[in-house]
Amino acid sequence: MIEARNLVKTFPARGGLLAQKAVQAVKGVSFVIPDGGAVAFIGESGCGKTTIGRILSGFETYDSGEIYYNGEDLSALPPRTRQERLRKVQLIQQDPYAALNPARTIYQSLAAPLSWEAKRRHKEKGWIERRAREVLELVGLNPDVVLGKYPHMLSGGQRQRIVIARALTVEPDVLVADEAISMIDVSLRLGILTLLQTLRRDYGIALLFITHDIAAARYIGHDGRMYVIYQGEIVEEASTDELIRSPVHPYSQALLSAVPVLRGLERPGQDRYIPLGEFSVTETSGCRFAPRCRFAHDLCQKEKPPLIPWEQEDHRHACHFPTPRRVVAEPLEGHS
Amino acid sequence: MSLYDLAPTAEDAGIHIQNLTVSYDTDRGRFNALKNVTLDIRPRHITGFIGESGSGKTTLAMAMMNAIQPPGRIDGGAILLDGAGDVLQLRGEPLRRLRGRYFGFVFQASSNSLNPLKRVGAQLMDLGRSHGISDLRGLLREAKALAERIGLDGDRVLTSYQHELSGGMRQRVGLVFALVLKARILILDEPTTALDMLTQQAVLEIVRSIHQEQGLTTIVITHDMGVVAEMADRVVVMYAGRVVEEGPTFSLLTNPQHPYTQGLIRAIPRITGNLDDAKPLPGSPPDLATIPTKGCVFRERCYARTSVCDTVDPVPTSAHGDGLVMCHGVDAS
Ligand SMILES: Nc1ncnc2c1ncn2[C@@H]1O[C@H](COP(=O)(O)OP(=O)(O)OP(=O)(O)O)[C@@H](O)[C@H]1O
Ligand SMILES: Nc1ncnc2c1ncn2[C@@H]1O[C@H](COP(=O)(O)OP(=O)(O)OP(=O)(O)O)[C@@H](O)[C@H]1O
Ligand code: SF4
Ligand SMILES: [Mg+2]
Ligand SMILES: [Mg+2]
Repeated sequence: MIEARNLVKTFPARGGLLAQKAVQAVKGVSFVIPDGGAVAFIGESGCGKTTIGRILSGFETYDSGEIYYNGEDLSALPPRTRQERLRKVQLIQQDPYAALNPARTIYQSLAAPLSWEAKRRHKEKGWIERRAREVLELVGLNPDVVLGKYPHMLSGGQRQRIVIARALTVEPDVLVADEAISMIDVSLRLGILTLLQTLRRDYGIALLFITHDIAAARYIGHDGRMYVIYQGEIVEEASTDELIRSPVHPYSQALLSAVPVLRGLERPGQDRYIPLGEFSVTETSGCRFAPRCRFAHDLCQKEKPPLIPWEQEDHRHACHFPTPRRVVAEPLEGHS
Repeated sequence: MSLYDLAPTAEDAGIHIQNLTVSYDTDRGRFNALKNVTLDIRPRHITGFIGESGSGKTTLAMAMMNAIQPPGRIDGGAILLDGAGDVLQLRGEPLRRLRGRYFGFVFQASSNSLNPLKRVGAQLMDLGRSHGISDLRGLLREAKALAERIGLDGDRVLTSYQHELSGGMRQRVGLVFALVLKARILILDEPTTALDMLTQQAVLEIVRSIHQEQGLTTIVITHDMGVVAEMADRVVVMYAGRVVEEGPTFSLLTNPQHPYTQGLIRAIPRITGNLDDAKPLPGSPPDLATIPTKGCVFRERCYARTSVCDTVDPVPTSAHGDGLVMCHGVDAS
């Protein structure tokens, strides 16, 4: 289990010709990834999703807050040791094209991390190839067909499966899938989602699914949990079903409204609304979403809404005027 | 008076593609990326081109502007543009002028279409000059307004160099360029793939309203059926260089005829309904080198395959009232 409390991450200012102000990408975020659980982070570009994923998989440091990994607080450890502890949290990135070395065969790409494992665990020579075949079968590829191939000979979906297979070589506890399907053909996305579900069900691998595509995030499983992130803060969290069925924060509602409606098969939710147009990120003592929020009042500009429960303890929101709205599309008769 | 001097009017910017075949020379041989494509693009409509990677969507769009570059080659066919004749017969200056007048094109990888050494605003003024626009100040003002409608900071964007903009921002800058020059035919190649859902909706909204305002002929290329469902009046489904189904969006979505179209629709992760109803499309997208030269190109992935599919090319059959489908399974019924 991973528990993060009040994680904060600031990227420092840069001087020089292309001066840039410091960016606080993550502003005190707390969440739990249970053993074998499924968690989704949802939010638009730049909200800090990738940064959190990279912190969890040991690629990025954090300024303050704590990460408990199976009960142990990693925050006090030196970064190197922390990274070693997070070895079993494996990051799967957006771009399966960039993730694989084009000059290496699939076998070579898998053998590299496996020979590390073999050394660590004192395995005999044949183990590496046996295990390479095993992980390929786990991701639904035929080892005889793909082992000798180079990445360019495979489709986007197959490449992403290879990337997942490589992550499986260390027998991970958690897979962090960061927009892992957004560069893949829509026709193949569901296949990858189903694969991630299977790995979770059959091997108890927990899943952190990072995306701006809420419809896809639904497929991490019925018992999943969703966190909606806005400008580095959690603004709503609930079980996946609850969050989609009855979101109470206007930003969650905007994100859900933005999912395209399949005309003829679905009708738009009656309260669907999409904030359009320009807005700027300014420091505020109030709600960060207020400049874009259709439901903002004076209070919203002045006072920051805390993250508090809505009806049940496990559905939380940060809005002064939480209101359930029906924003997602509904299936039309005969076209579920 | 030559063909390209005819000023196009909004009413007549339809495109009639006839028997178009395009091939690419690769290290594995020469392969057809489009084969015998015959298709009418209607004026004042938004037409969505949909299909998996490699199905020939970009190739078809480039061919419409007679802009196929080596190693590609147009092997045959005609592209009749209302009021301008066969685009494939034009070369050199006349072709360049026709493109400038008719087409606004937003490239799939917008990052490559901007000049890295010039500020965005300066590039826009160059483009305006080459289109004979005298009121450059007005052009900038309009560009700024458009940029702001799709969530960009207009002043900042126009004074930036391309490397100072994110991928999603560049994509939107490409869109502003295409829209502000008032082309008759607007072709958007994957206009929203690098964008998050909210930005995607903003982009779709602006395209929709400008399409309406200016009476454009708009083509949206995408592999996302959701984008098509929100935007398009008609849909063209492509597979392995063939148009396998075409028709009005509503009819095509509610009553898809081709097994490929059916599979594409069933494979969409949906925000609503039963999780188990969605099913992945089996198999991999087609690879030019292994596309069968005889019979149906989709048969390896098809649930309705019969022996005739292996040997006989399916021909276009009328469907969706004024559309078509190419499948033996539909032929038979
Ligand atoms: N290495 C870095 N240096 C400086 N700023 C950074 C760095 N990485 C991220 N940021 C900034 O931190 C913020 C959050 O970025 P992050 O990549 O986590 O967002 P995201 O939610 O993953 O967005 P996207 O959906 O576009 O991937 C952004 O403002 C980004 O510009
Ligand atoms: N310059 C080129 N050289 C060789 N082959 C090419 C070239 N451009 C395209 N092709 C091939 O032609 C076929 C059609 O490509 P095209 O780019 O038109 O597909 P697309 O439908 O736009 O795909 P995507 O969704 O990936 O953009 C593909 O098999 C592709 O590999
Ligand atoms: S606190 Fe106010 S501004 Fe913020 S989301 Fe709620 S209603 Fe909107
Ligand atoms: Mg990211
Ligand atoms: Mg393309």
